[in-house]
Amino acid sequence: MSAVALPPFWSLIERHGDELLVHARRLTDDQTAEDVLQDALLRALRAYPRLRHGDHLRAWLYRVTTTTALDVHRARRREVVTDEPPTASARGLVTASLAAVEAEYDDGAFESLIAPLAPTAQAALRLRFVDDLDYDRIAVELGTSPEAARQRVSTAVRTLRERVSA
Amino acid sequence: MTPLSDAFLDRLASAAVREGLADAVYTTLATPIGPLVVVQGREGVLRIAFEGEPLDRTLARVAAGVGPRIVESDRELAATRDALSAYLEGDDDRLELPVDLSLVGGPFRRAVLETLHREVHRGEVVTYGALARQAGNQRAVRAVGTACATNPIPIVVPCHRVLPASGRLGAYGGGPERKRVLLALEGASVRDA
Repeated sequence: MSAVALPPFWSLIERHGDELLVHARRLTDDQTAEDVLQDALLRALRAYPRLRHGDHLRAWLYRVTTTTALDVHRARRREVVTDEPPTASARGLVTASLAAVEAEYDDGAFESLIAPLAPTAQAALRLRFVDDLDYDRIAVELGTSPEAARQRVSTAVRTLRERVSA
Repeated sequence: MTPLSDAFLDRLASAAVREGLADAVYTTLATPIGPLVVVQGREGVLRIAFEGEPLDRTLARVAAGVGPRIVESDRELAATRDALSAYLEGDDDRLELPVDLSLVGGPFRRAVLETLHREVHRGEVVTYGALARQAGNQRAVRAVGTACATNPIPIVVPCHRVLPASGRLGAYGGGPERKRVLLALEGASVRDA
C-alpha cells in the first residue's frame, strides 16, 4: 500500500497511453513500438507503489518509455554482435535492467541517457520529460517561440534515437 | 494519433496479473439490475459498485485500500463475470465467489459481513437484530446496519437479505428497488412497504 495517494494505474494509461505509443514510435519503429510500450508500462507498474509523490506522472511515464526503448535498441545491437537468439536475449536484458529502472524516480537512468547530448538538447528534454511542461512553458524557459521549443525537443529525441541505433 | 488497441490493453493487463504486478483488476458488466463495476483483489472480489457511483471514485477508494496498481481486464475476470451474470439472469442459483474483505473497516463490521456471507443463503432473510446476535454481539444492531450500509461487496455478500424487524424491505445501498429485485430473484418473500 502506498504512503501517498496515487491515482489508479489504469487511469494513467487511459489518459496518456495513446501519446506514449506515439513517443515509442518516434524512438523505435512501428513494429517494435507496442512491445517497447508494454515493457515500459510493466516497468512503471513495478515501480509505481514506491513513488514518493504523484506529481508529474505523465513525464515519468515518458522517461520510463524512453529508457525502455533505448534498452531494447542496445539489446538488439548486442544480439548482432553475439549472435544469440534475438527475442530471448532482448527480453533478458530488459529484465536485467529492471532493478536499475525501479530506482529511476530519481532520474538517474534518464540523466545518464541524455548526458552525451548537447546542453541545449538536454535542457529541452528535461523541461519536457522531467518537469512535464507544455511547449508554451518550455518556450518561456528557453526564451524561444513555442514552435521552436517543439522543434528543439523533437530534434533532441531524434538525436537520442540516432545515437543508440547507430 | 493512433489509439492503443484493445488487444494491446488486454495483453498488458494479463501480463501485469501474471507477473503479480496488479493490486486489483476491474471490469464492467451489464446485468438485469444495471451495469456493475466489479473489482477483484488477490483473495477474491473486493468491491462491486452499482450504476450511479462514479468509476473514478470507486477505483480511487480501492487504490487507497489495497494499492494503486489497478488494471482493467474482462479476460482476467471472465470466471467472476460469468458467475455473476448467470446468477443475476437466473441461470444459476448458486453464487460461490471468494471475497476479499480488505476494504471493510473495523473487526466487528468484518465479522458481520463474514457471517452474512457464510450463513445467510439464497432464499433466506435475516433481521438486523438476528445478524447482530449471529455475529457475536446482539446489542450491536445499529452497527450491523452500518456494516450493511457500507458493505463494499453487495450481491456477493448478501446485505439485500437483511431486513428490518418489521419484515418490510428497509434500506439498501443500491436503492430499495434493486433490493426487491434481488429478493424476488431468490424467491424470498417480503411484505410490501
